[in-house]
Amino acid sequence: MKYIAVILAVGCLAAACALPPPVSVPEDLWTEKDEEILWHRAQKEQLVLDNNDWLYRDAEIETYLNEVAARLGAFTDSTDIVFKIKIINDPNLNAFAFPNGVIYVHTGLLARMENEAQLAALLAHEMTHCTLRHSLRALKSKKDPADNMATAGQNRDNVAMLRYLAGILGTNGSMAAVTGYSRRFEAEADRGGLDLMAKAGYDPRQALNLFELLQQEIENQGIKEPFFFGTHPSVQQRIENADRWLANEYLGKNSGLINAEIFRSRLDRLVLDNARLDLQFSRFYIARKNVEMYLRRHQEDADAHYLLGEIFRQQGRQRDTRTAIEHYRQAIVLDPSFSAPHKAMGLMHYKEGDRILAKKFFESCLLLSPDAPDKAYIQGYLKRCINNGEES
Amino acid sequence: MKKLLLLFISMCLILGCASAANKRSLKDLPKSDFSVEIPDGWWKPQYVNKYLITKDGPFLQYVLIQQRPIDRVFKNTKKKMRPRMLPLESARIIIDEIASDRNIMNFKVIENAPAIIDGHAGFKILFTYKDKKGSEFKTLYYGFINGDSFFNLRYNAATRHYFEKDIADFKQILNSFKLVRG
Repeated sequence: MKYIAVILAVGCLAAACALPPPVSVPEDLWTEKDEEILWHRAQKEQLVLDNNDWLYRDAEIETYLNEVAARLGAFTDSTDIVFKIKIINDPNLNAFAFPNGVIYVHTGLLARMENEAQLAALLAHEMTHCTLRHSLRALKSKKDPADNMATAGQNRDNVAMLRYLAGILGTNGSMAAVTGYSRRFEAEADRGGLDLMAKAGYDPRQALNLFELLQQEIENQGIKEPFFFGTHPSVQQRIENADRWLANEYLGKNSGLINAEIFRSRLDRLVLDNARLDLQFSRFYIARKNVEMYLRRHQEDADAHYLLGEIFRQQGRQRDTRTAIEHYRQAIVLDPSFSAPHKAMGLMHYKEGDRILAKKFFESCLLLSPDAPDKAYIQGYLKRCINNGEES
Repeated sequence: MKKLLLLFISMCLILGCASAANKRSLKDLPKSDFSVEIPDGWWKPQYVNKYLITKDGPFLQYVLIQQRPIDRVFKNTKKKMRPRMLPLESARIIIDEIASDRNIMNFKVIENAPAIIDGHAGFKILFTYKDKKGSEFKTLYYGFINGDSFFNLRYNAATRHYFEKDIADFKQILNSFKLVRG
């Protein structure tokens, strides 16, 4: 009997630690005035973000993300928050919400998702931070920074952009959204987010899939944990928590919206654009993976073939040279007026010492793009081809 | 007593000026594989351990000359330079490096063109950016690969007033640049 009591007690404790029960906002923690100040600060911080050329602007994609948010928003209790989704042109795996309902999602995170339900999982998590007034509560309990803001510095160091964002916006109040919440608030948002997406009709198992997908990504890239996950609880812990909760609440229930096809067709262009950013950061593996995924759906996209050629070429491995050339050739066949692959082919042949072929491609490049920003280089190399390697 | 006080103040002023002049000198510039002629008025901030000189303070303008091993990783991009790389390719890496720097905002390349530096085929990039306080800066960046080293000379100044004011000095420094070894 004694043992059973101990087991029960341990069991209860473990369950309590795993995920907190759904919470309501403790009204005594905040006043309208406090909230007004916080929202005003959030608006000012958003202005800084919006005016710094960081936003990915695509009206169709923004509309789609906001439609998903509106679907989720209909099931929240907070009628005073109008959710608005914006996209940051950055390849890191990140998202954050301001207390007034404005949520920023990085292209890097969107590009890794597989379906609309995973998007809903992310948005529901961020929306829960807003509806549970986590920023305000973090501000109110700043007296106990160990509880609420301890992870902030740690998280900031993980991602250069966030360190930078925190640097320019400060680390108070609404910035808790950017700098990170406490373990308790993140766990609340995880649990609340799962509830919300399920209420809105999405398959909550996709939240778990998203966690697992991103964890795999983190391992593949050898990166530190992305900011979206924070450091507490760890990704693995959150996966286990969500898994347990789903097993308890959704046992035998498999239905729910996933919308993979709609999601992919709406975000196709963003995936390709983000691959360009990944290439800029030399994340060859993920850039290649995403362009190849895009090409499976759009085999006749010259731009994507050119980008894949660039990914192979820029890795600088001898064995990839042929593959790069194949993709450049494919890009030229698909769109003969596209100058970039002509230039790339010219450069490859020039470096291999094949001046005849290099000359041919440099000439066609200049013909197609007489005002190319780097035409001075091409003209110089062309001159050397004509003079057989000698400066004129 | 009054005279003594005056003498003391004068001595302090003289010593203070001498100390300031001492700080504003070119001494402590790191030993390098190149030589340059530096026009009058430029000095090296003591707290900087680089070949960096300025006239009105590094936040207003500076000239930075670097020699780095080509296999040394950059701060932001993982791309590496290679010995046989064309100037167009090495310029692209520098642009990626700067574009990936999150301390730099509104980065815009105005010109990217081939250049000859001390007889070596290289590149020049002219670009502008804003810092986190919103101040705009303009940079003229020259670079070339020689053997296992990547050399670069850059002139950075506040776009307003300072960039144009000292560009001639930078050109003078650039034209005097010579590799002395290797």
